[in-house]
Amino acid sequence: MTFTRTISASALALSVAASAAFAQDLTIENEDWWKEAGAQFSGVTLRGVTESTPPSNFISDVLAPKFEELTGIRVDVETTSWDQMYDKAIKDMEAGTGIYDMVYIEQDIIYAYLSRDFLVDVTAALAEKPELKAPNYDEANLTTFADNFRGENGNLYGIPMEAFIKVYLYRTDLFNDPEIQAAYKEKTGADLKPATTHEEYTQIADFFTEYMQGKGEDIWGTTAQAHTGHPASWYEFFESVAPTFGVYNWGIDAANNYSASVENGGTMNSAEAKEALAWWLHLRDIAPPESVQSTWTEVGTTFAAGRAAQGLVYGENAAWIAADDTKSKVVGNVGVALPPVAEGVMAAAEAGEGYIGYYDGGAFGLPVTSKQQDASLLFLQFMALPEVQEEWAVAAPRITLTSTYDSPKVAELDAELGGYYSMLRDQGKLFKGAPEYPFHAQVREATAPIFYQILTGAVGPDEGLDQMAAKAEEELTTLGYRK
Amino acid sequence: MQSNKLGWLFLAPTILVLFLFGVLPFIYVLWVSFHQWNPFAANPNMIFNWADNYRAVVFDAQFLASLGATVAFVFFAVVTEVIIGYFLAQAFMGDFPGKAFFRTIHTLPLIVAPIIVGSVWKLMTTPSIGIIPHLLDNWFGLNLNIGTSALAAFTVTVVMDVWHWTPLVTLTLIAALVSLPADPFEQAQIDGAGPRQIFWHITLPMIAPALVATVFIRLMDALRTVDEVLMLTGGGPGSATRYVGVHIFKEVFPRTNYGYGSAISVIVLYLTIVVCWMLYTGLLAPRKGKEG
Repeated sequence: MTFTRTISASALALSVAASAAFAQDLTIENEDWWKEAGAQFSGVTLRGVTESTPPSNFISDVLAPKFEELTGIRVDVETTSWDQMYDKAIKDMEAGTGIYDMVYIEQDIIYAYLSRDFLVDVTAALAEKPELKAPNYDEANLTTFADNFRGENGNLYGIPMEAFIKVYLYRTDLFNDPEIQAAYKEKTGADLKPATTHEEYTQIADFFTEYMQGKGEDIWGTTAQAHTGHPASWYEFFESVAPTFGVYNWGIDAANNYSASVENGGTMNSAEAKEALAWWLHLRDIAPPESVQSTWTEVGTTFAAGRAAQGLVYGENAAWIAADDTKSKVVGNVGVALPPVAEGVMAAAEAGEGYIGYYDGGAFGLPVTSKQQDASLLFLQFMALPEVQEEWAVAAPRITLTSTYDSPKVAELDAELGGYYSMLRDQGKLFKGAPEYPFHAQVREATAPIFYQILTGAVGPDEGLDQMAAKAEEELTTLGYRK
Repeated sequence: MQSNKLGWLFLAPTILVLFLFGVLPFIYVLWVSFHQWNPFAANPNMIFNWADNYRAVVFDAQFLASLGATVAFVFFAVVTEVIIGYFLAQAFMGDFPGKAFFRTIHTLPLIVAPIIVGSVWKLMTTPSIGIIPHLLDNWFGLNLNIGTSALAAFTVTVVMDVWHWTPLVTLTLIAALVSLPADPFEQAQIDGAGPRQIFWHITLPMIAPALVATVFIRLMDALRTVDEVLMLTGGGPGSATRYVGVHIFKEVFPRTNYGYGSAISVIVLYLTIVVCWMLYTGLLAPRKGKEG
């Protein structure tokens, strides 16, 4: 899923190279404890596999050398492509070969791993061996994103190392332009400001597309992650758009025999889902033409190229769009807002009964097949120490500890990013990762071909959602989850 | 007897490698194809299900559509590559200024990894911002949108494959043409044969083995095309370019439908062998019969 996003994230990494941290820049508290704890594992080599992203590179380039310097434990982190990483990790854990002592777990695959008992319960392991518990490591300091890596018992099975939310970005230069404001007021009778409802969002998008195209400018009213053959479009609809209409967890009700269709108790083809799809398809039609080929990266690129007035953009892209003038034409002109929602959805999210968008990220987990579990536990805690987080957040725009928000460098970056970090801190709880399903890719791949047919117009939207709901139930029955 | 044993000894490493990396994996795929196996199912174990996967493949509309698209893709790509490759080979047989330079340039696509080819073509064909849609719009008023038009996406995948692999055909045919004896051509010219007669009655029959071998190679490659197309269109728009290789990839990797994906792989292998056999018997066997 993050394969294409890696490219843009890598671009960001290059842009921050000048300020990149080095192992010697890190000051670790309780150094004596780390030396003592690591002494028994001196000479041990831990092997990890992860996707090649800026946060992962920080682990291999900065954290691992520092950890080795303190403990004598060598850490080799293999950074590779997204598909290779999963291929290697899953095969290792499936076969029980024990090659890897740490594996990257993207938020949407954790439940598949848990269902196969691939991972060590980190909370329980540290409780059983208090001598391995690092003084400065505190599970309570982790942001709410860590909840995505908890098992049914509430314990952690992965230590978060990156976290982003998909936010509503808008062009402040356009929204604050008096001439545009006047034109918008004249056309709609409303003031031009970031939308809070779908109707407002559509109105703004329609206005900008018409207004800018009329002026001969290559600026459209919205972005759309609407690739007609890539799961990015499926994700945009089910994880970013449908929840804002109150359709959660892809419209599948796990508590109700994994039903997806309305007739069986699901919501994948509900009136709200159909309304959401109609809304989004309209936006797709007034978005830049490249949107039909856009995945995560291209949406970010479209916005950074100044081709859209507003859009839903993944947080890791928001950072370079707002701050990297070697890649973005809209630096200094980016505002951040919460996605527009239907009536009642915000209240539901605030009450913890729903969510308004996608919270994405990943963690490092410890395979049960690892032959160096104790040493690995030390490194996992090392990654979650407060004192390494500030440099890490600056090197790669991610925050996984609440204490990191207060650090000076992060506050400075927050201003550049239009308040993105503040939103992550204050309103991150309104967003949610992928549903707790062990069959994530399976249901997606089973239903995605129908979704692509909807996008090409070969199947009508309402009929398509009906087919998708039926297909999802068929797949879940085949997989044995639906009885 | 002694030399026979020594021969087998020398061959043993090769046979061992072939067995380990060719025969064993194939037997494993065959074995898996008779099972229902998805490691992320409620029951992650392999469940023997006889020929259920094969039965399902036959009635799988998505697979059949994928197969149809693949046949069309292979036909247009391979035929175009052979025709262009032959003419280029003939051109490179002659002398012209800058021949060595053009021959080098012409073979460069061969050394580019398919995933890069897909990426570059994606950049060039992205609607409204790619160079190709831009030029087509400026010059001919054509709107090329591979994100919405199935025909456009199909055509671009064929053109991309032709761009990537025609040099292979050219190189093979140059080798074949260079090796031809001069006598039959001189004799034909003395007898008053024209270029067309010489091509049909002398050149083509004489290069037929090389031509068929080239077609075999390209046919098998085109049938299993994955990375280029996956990068360019992802199999879309809709399922327009979801060729068999892409279909198998999506079934086996993201969907982890190992049993079903293996069954499709075996069927595609079977179909490939059948097509190659038909080509062989249709093009080469009659010729061998005549010679015999």
